[in-house]
Amino acid sequence: MDRGWWWKFGMIVAVTLGTVWLLIPTYVSLVKMEPAERNNIAKVQERLPAWAPPAKYRLNLGLDLQGGIHMVMRVDTKTALQKRTERRGQQIARWITEDKKLGEVTVDTDPEKLQLTLVAKDPATMDAIEKEVLATFTDFTRVSRDGAKLVLSPDESQVTRFEQESVDQAMLVIRNRIDKWGVAELDVRKLGTDSIQISLPGRSDPEQAKELVGTTAQLEFRMVDDTNPGFFQEMLQRTPPPEGSNITVTDEDGFPQLSGPNREALLAYVKDKVPEGREVLLECMANPVKKNDCLSYRTYLVQRDVPLTGESLESANANISQINEPEVNITFDAVGAKEFERLTEASVGKRMAIVLDDYVHSAPRINEKIGGGSARITMGRAGSKSFDEWFQDAQTLALVLKAGALPAPVTVGEIRQVGASLGEELIKKGSLAALVGLLMVILFMAVYYKKSGLIADVALLLNGLLILAGLSLFNATLTLPGIAGFVLTLGIAVDANVLINERIREELDHGKTARQAVDQGYDRAFWTIFDAHVTTLIAGFILFVTGTGPIRGFATTLIVGLLASLFTSIVVTRVITTYFVHGRNAQTVSV
Amino acid sequence: MRIIKHKTNIDFIGKRKIAVYISSLVNLAILVGIATVGFNYGVDFAGGTVVELKFNHSISAAEVRKRAEDGGLHDVSVQNIGSADENTFLLRMGGVTQLTEENAEKAKAAINGLGNVRNVYPDMNNGIINFRSATALTPDVIKQAVEATGTGVQEVRTLGEAQGGGFDYQVVASGMADKVRASLSKGTAAPDFQERRVDYVGPQVGKQLRNKGIAALLYAMIAILIYVAFRFDFKFGPGALLAMLHDVVMVAGFYLVSRREFNLTAIAALLTIIGYSVNDTIVIYDRIREDMGKYKGKPLPEVINIAVNDTLARTLLTSLVTALSLVGLLIFGVGEIWDFAMAMLVGILVGTYSSVYIASPLTIWLDERAAAREGRAKGGMKAKTA
Repeated sequence: MDRGWWWKFGMIVAVTLGTVWLLIPTYVSLVKMEPAERNNIAKVQERLPAWAPPAKYRLNLGLDLQGGIHMVMRVDTKTALQKRTERRGQQIARWITEDKKLGEVTVDTDPEKLQLTLVAKDPATMDAIEKEVLATFTDFTRVSRDGAKLVLSPDESQVTRFEQESVDQAMLVIRNRIDKWGVAELDVRKLGTDSIQISLPGRSDPEQAKELVGTTAQLEFRMVDDTNPGFFQEMLQRTPPPEGSNITVTDEDGFPQLSGPNREALLAYVKDKVPEGREVLLECMANPVKKNDCLSYRTYLVQRDVPLTGESLESANANISQINEPEVNITFDAVGAKEFERLTEASVGKRMAIVLDDYVHSAPRINEKIGGGSARITMGRAGSKSFDEWFQDAQTLALVLKAGALPAPVTVGEIRQVGASLGEELIKKGSLAALVGLLMVILFMAVYYKKSGLIADVALLLNGLLILAGLSLFNATLTLPGIAGFVLTLGIAVDANVLINERIREELDHGKTARQAVDQGYDRAFWTIFDAHVTTLIAGFILFVTGTGPIRGFATTLIVGLLASLFTSIVVTRVITTYFVHGRNAQTVSV
Repeated sequence: MRIIKHKTNIDFIGKRKIAVYISSLVNLAILVGIATVGFNYGVDFAGGTVVELKFNHSISAAEVRKRAEDGGLHDVSVQNIGSADENTFLLRMGGVTQLTEENAEKAKAAINGLGNVRNVYPDMNNGIINFRSATALTPDVIKQAVEATGTGVQEVRTLGEAQGGGFDYQVVASGMADKVRASLSKGTAAPDFQERRVDYVGPQVGKQLRNKGIAALLYAMIAILIYVAFRFDFKFGPGALLAMLHDVVMVAGFYLVSRREFNLTAIAALLTIIGYSVNDTIVIYDRIREDMGKYKGKPLPEVINIAVNDTLARTLLTSLVTALSLVGLLIFGVGEIWDFAMAMLVGILVGTYSSVYIASPLTIWLDERAAAREGRAKGGMKAKTA
């Protein structure tokens, strides 16, 4: 045995040990733990020995195997855009007639073409109106002008931006609502330009899922009760929070708040400790890395009365103020403006909570009475934030405000729900099918190629382990089509050994010695095997890019399996075969 | 142990014309079938709702259908899956929401009866009805009016006041799955079944998925073809491509003739076949290339025949091994997975056949044409061999 052989042998041993080591979290979570606990990464971590890989690197079961709901929501941006255009038309007409006094106009909206038609009562005024309107309302462009008739349509880039915003709003609202159910491993992401994909493992109640698209988001303006700034501090001193709830007091703006990582625990703790007519609402402190996660929650004591809702809000935009600080400008409609003026007059110096779907998003202080229906919300101190982050806060707030004001209706595009019992059955049947397939292949190889077949079988088993380890490493999910992909890949992996062994037989028939036959068999078969693997890999990659859900699981398994197969069926079998041929100076090879 | 001898000498090339004719005919028939009869599209592509139910007592598909119809659920297909004693059924409905053509008309009439209402627009695709009322209405009143006509209402949304006067409302119809539950439990105290799975795909999403699937198939073929052209001589490309197309059409034919559901899993099967089909072809092409160097002077058809014969054992064995791995899935797989395994099996069989009878002969044909053209130009005739 030469040095090169020992190097290769050492590498194979190392890879095998590494593979087994990588599979520890997967083994613990799938075999040793209850299905309900598997998705909780912290619980898996607890069960793992210190020397094991982190719990993150484990094989997750897909929604089709563990039960759960996969949903795709479509945001109806078209309806939202129609509504917005109609609203803008109203504003433009009011601006012409009331603010600028340019003359009387009527406005009409074409919901299909998204066009506004302005008609002046006195055709002579139209020239001035056209000039002023186009200069002021830059989000509209002129389509045509015919005497007293001016047709406008929203600017393309505005439409795109608005559509994106609508999807962002819908995502925000959906995240808020799911968070209330306390789903451990939810996944909410944008899909294409107008859809949102939601995965809820372990959930099987589509009724509850529908809640997500149920009502439009509820935006409320409510007064914060700061009559006793030490309210929460005193509560904590009077009744210590339950052990392990991690409830503490934080004080950032001179108003102490309770803070805790668990929503339910926090709400349970404050329950029955709130005075009449008040209510405790929570603010979600988002995880800076993963925006869809709440890292902790903070409490606000607010009035039960809701003096103003998002229905009265006309617009909200993030801007940079004259003193170069981010701010959000909001405008109310006529009714809202009056109510807002009354409210701010009565509450100067107090804080007003902006509440979306029962979550406090911010609580700016009212500095003075605000009339005229438009207000500025300043963003407080920058603190340790960069200007970009600070401005992003303003943008998020504007998004929150708009979510209540201009809701884009959301419809269900796709729901796939699998019950947990079906999932368990599928796992059983799937594993059995994989085992039978594997056994057939192993038996065939052993019978047909004798010792060389057994060597291929060893490589095949290692290949199976490598696939599972590879999937765990990439944090992939195992789906039912994934199991099918696993089985198929094992079949393709053995193909490579068939090619090699047939070639060796052929070389032996040509009268080569065992040693020559093995070397040439491997060398000549290599490129054939390589090409064959690459073509299937190409198909796998395309499937991975275009597929979703379970199908993607199939593609992942196929890709990982083919890569593993290149290693096991060529390198591993060759090292073992070489041992038998060279090591013992054999004159024959058993194929 | 050996099943196939190494020194076979079968005249594959001589039979190539018959094989190509038969294959072309079958392919043509399948394509015509797809165009005229069409696939049995699953919900993934057609849109609709599938509910899998497991009853806790023995019941037949006909009985389930009758119960559904008595409960007011029409146009439902009921299919028994798994073994008979599992009492498991797939219920398939075309619609996604309860707002069907017929229901929408009734609901529209009911809304019009609510007072001064205009612009009533039912949107069957999304299961919503938009309308504008001159006076403010309460969602409850609207909901009651629509539900009285037999359409379940999930929610009534108020969309605010319109600029030209009037109030906008949106009625959202409930999903079909709700209706399944309601109609099947009609007349029973407690439901005697369990909902195991619900698949619900909106028509627009279905269309998107289908277009994406077809695009994926095309991309895969192009990418593989580029790879083959890059790795082998360019004249091998058309042969590999036609063999690939042949295999894909044949597997599509399996879905067409068996009336198995054509869905996302079917696309996955077709894509895998595209990748796998070239496998066998490459094994032979590799050998042809090797032999072309070895037997300089022999005409190409002869070289190809030798190469095909020499690789026959491995061509058949690799297919056999891959087919063996599918046995478990064919025994224990149900539904889509069984279909997938079966489609793969068909693909492997036709893939093996096409590598021998389609891909290799086509190379000869192309070579002959090229030689003939060259011959015409130079005024001489000599078969090109390398």
